[in-house]
Amino acid sequence: MTDATGAPAPTGWQHRHLLDVDILTRDELRTVLDLAGTMADRRADTGTSRPLSGRTVATLFAEPSTRTRVSFELAARALGGDPVSLDASGSSLAKGESLIDTVRTLEALGAGMLVVRHPRSGAPQLASEHFGGPVLNAGDGWHAHPTQALLDLFTLRQVLGDARLATAKVCIVGDVLHSRVARSNIWALTCWGIDVWLTGPTVFLRGFEAWARALPAGRRLTVTGDFEAGIRDSAAVMALRVQRERLEGAGAPSEAAYAARWGLTEERLRRHAPDSIVMHPGPVNLGVELPPDVAAGSRSVITRQVANGVPVRMAAMALLAGAHA
Amino acid sequence: MTDGRVPIDILDPGDGGLTRGGVIGHLAIDDAWLVDPVSGRSGRGSIVIEDGRITEIEWAPASASGPSPSVVVAPSFIDIRAHIREPGAEEAESFASGLEAAAHGGFGFVASMADTRPVVDRPEVVQRVLAAGAASGSPVRTRPYAAVTLGREGTNLAGFASLAAAGVVGFSDLPAATTDAAMLRAALSEAGGLGMPIVIQPDEPSLTAGAEANEGLPSTILGLRGASAAAEVSAVSRAVAVLRQVSAEVPPDVRPHLHIAHLSAAGSLDPVRAARAEGLRVTCDVAAHHLALHDGWLGGDRRWSWAAASSPWAGAQAGDPAPYHPGTRLDPPLRGPEDAIALIAALEDGTIDAIASDHAPALAVDVQRPFGEAVAGMSSLETTLGLVLETVDSGRLSLVRAMRALSLGPWRALDGGRIELPEPSLRVGAEANLVIFDRADHWIVDDVMLRSRGRNTPLLGRSLPGRVLLTIARGRLAWQDPDLD
Repeated sequence: MTDATGAPAPTGWQHRHLLDVDILTRDELRTVLDLAGTMADRRADTGTSRPLSGRTVATLFAEPSTRTRVSFELAARALGGDPVSLDASGSSLAKGESLIDTVRTLEALGAGMLVVRHPRSGAPQLASEHFGGPVLNAGDGWHAHPTQALLDLFTLRQVLGDARLATAKVCIVGDVLHSRVARSNIWALTCWGIDVWLTGPTVFLRGFEAWARALPAGRRLTVTGDFEAGIRDSAAVMALRVQRERLEGAGAPSEAAYAARWGLTEERLRRHAPDSIVMHPGPVNLGVELPPDVAAGSRSVITRQVANGVPVRMAAMALLAGAHA
Repeated sequence: MTDGRVPIDILDPGDGGLTRGGVIGHLAIDDAWLVDPVSGRSGRGSIVIEDGRITEIEWAPASASGPSPSVVVAPSFIDIRAHIREPGAEEAESFASGLEAAAHGGFGFVASMADTRPVVDRPEVVQRVLAAGAASGSPVRTRPYAAVTLGREGTNLAGFASLAAAGVVGFSDLPAATTDAAMLRAALSEAGGLGMPIVIQPDEPSLTAGAEANEGLPSTILGLRGASAAAEVSAVSRAVAVLRQVSAEVPPDVRPHLHIAHLSAAGSLDPVRAARAEGLRVTCDVAAHHLALHDGWLGGDRRWSWAAASSPWAGAQAGDPAPYHPGTRLDPPLRGPEDAIALIAALEDGTIDAIASDHAPALAVDVQRPFGEAVAGMSSLETTLGLVLETVDSGRLSLVRAMRALSLGPWRALDGGRIELPEPSLRVGAEANLVIFDRADHWIVDDVMLRSRGRNTPLLGRSLPGRVLLTIARGRLAWQDPDLD
């Protein structure tokens, strides 16, 4: 196969689906990110080769999302594919049709690639067992959001550079327990060699200390209930979206208490992580996990994360299309 | 016999063979490994059955030489808990299919749970269930539990006396938790007066709401809502406290009996041991899958619990079986390997009385769903023996203990005599209720062998030890391996 630039595609990509980044090696991560770099550079071009040309890419979103779906659809279109979307509220899924039936129907209608978002962890795995083509996980329950982790790593490389990233500490702040973004980033960032820290209300860190102890040798993950220790000297701080319904229940702090204790203010950053950039998977609850001035300030790379989503998803789709041609 | 592999000599003077459901006319088994749970004796020997009764048992002298025979003869198993879906969901499991599966698994008796449609909460439903069991044509005995509360709704106590007279083995709202302590108190008192057990699933729902898996490393990595072991442990302690109170307030000739179903957490064992030491009547069981399987199976780890204990599953490796197999969604959930190890030790030391199949067959349409939406449970009547024998082969459980936990333990916990169930022993003159299996012979769990309608098991395709050659119940042939002609 050739990629969108007409250059030969990297060889050796063996994965049929992208359900998580957990089983990707560092070389495989580099393959995706390097290809995404090429895609970003050449996206403005018309391109001579379109690996998804003539292929229908179905996006099945059983959970509301705008940016992720649009990002996948733009990526599919940029590769010559034909995106069709099925969203939860209007779909047969809402009428009780099983996920498997929906997936089979999409395949029968001609979809050659499937992008799935689902509120249940493991749903894309199930979809992949009943769909003939590649399946990309666009977020499942609390489990995984592989393209988000890839675009986060892509952004970190782009902003910090490989040399600085090699010794960098990155801190993830907030509701780690319910976060698929955090889980996929733990796999991707620790695989890359980054020193990853997790901090937030202790009810949201449940179980992660055990995970840190069980990670393969050489991977670094530290869990702390001390916010300042967590962000201290970080090269990047990633704030997670705090869902309002998770606060004020089961021992979690109220929104105001959360903002006061865990809000990523400029004052805190200046004191403990003066050189840090600020990331967020979006959409931001302004004034809760991030004050408006930080979200829109010079440290913030949030807009860049969103922009990078398209070439990263293009790279993932191109690799899967090649592996599955 | 097809290949001479099986040292079993089947002779039937009538028509030269055995017929399913027919009384065993003559059957002699030479040089097998006999296990008698009542005396605790096991060893080489031979056994003869004539006209459905054991007529001869000969134990070989202890000095007998040569390798131990792999064919085991033991009392047929007594399943203290299985979900047969009749009435109401016969397409998932009827008594005909369920009792054949039981016979294939070596069981000669099945206590079926009350969570049918309609719920077994009135004598008419008991009669209907008993009639369905009889109509199946299987010699495997079966009796139902009745619900503790009408409709299993937890509000009004069912009419225990009339249900007992109709022939139930005990009372249980499983798989719902008997959450209300006041209801448990009333039920223990009422059933105690009838000499019958209340079977509970220990759970504290506020700790398990929406749970999809054991709260542990696999659930953290897989992003599944966790059920903490504290939910089970605290509920065991609470139920024991209620039992203590009830036991102290009833007349001296009444002994309330609490049976705790499917213990899964190591921490539950201490309150059980303490209650026993006090003299309270507490019995408990464990499902075979909570011995051999562990929560790493949700991630695709297919090692047995004792093999996983030193290096629990901590994330997928390329090439692993797929995670989120719906057959690994169980209630209570598969726990960590260290819990399984503690449960095995508690079987060996007698804290746990019985191994239950916890058979929970389900239709594919209810199982082939995203993990958290799949119906919890496993089709397990036919794989219980295999998992128990793997546990025995691990060196952590003796064969005698294992056979006892599959027959005498549940017989005592159910007060077998009260429900006209013969004591599971090897005794000359007794009605033949026997299982004959080959420990060394493996079979593949697949559509060819499975008789249950449920295919919801993560063991599909797996090879298990302990091919069941014959199961004899009520002196009749309940199961014959297809390879024995």
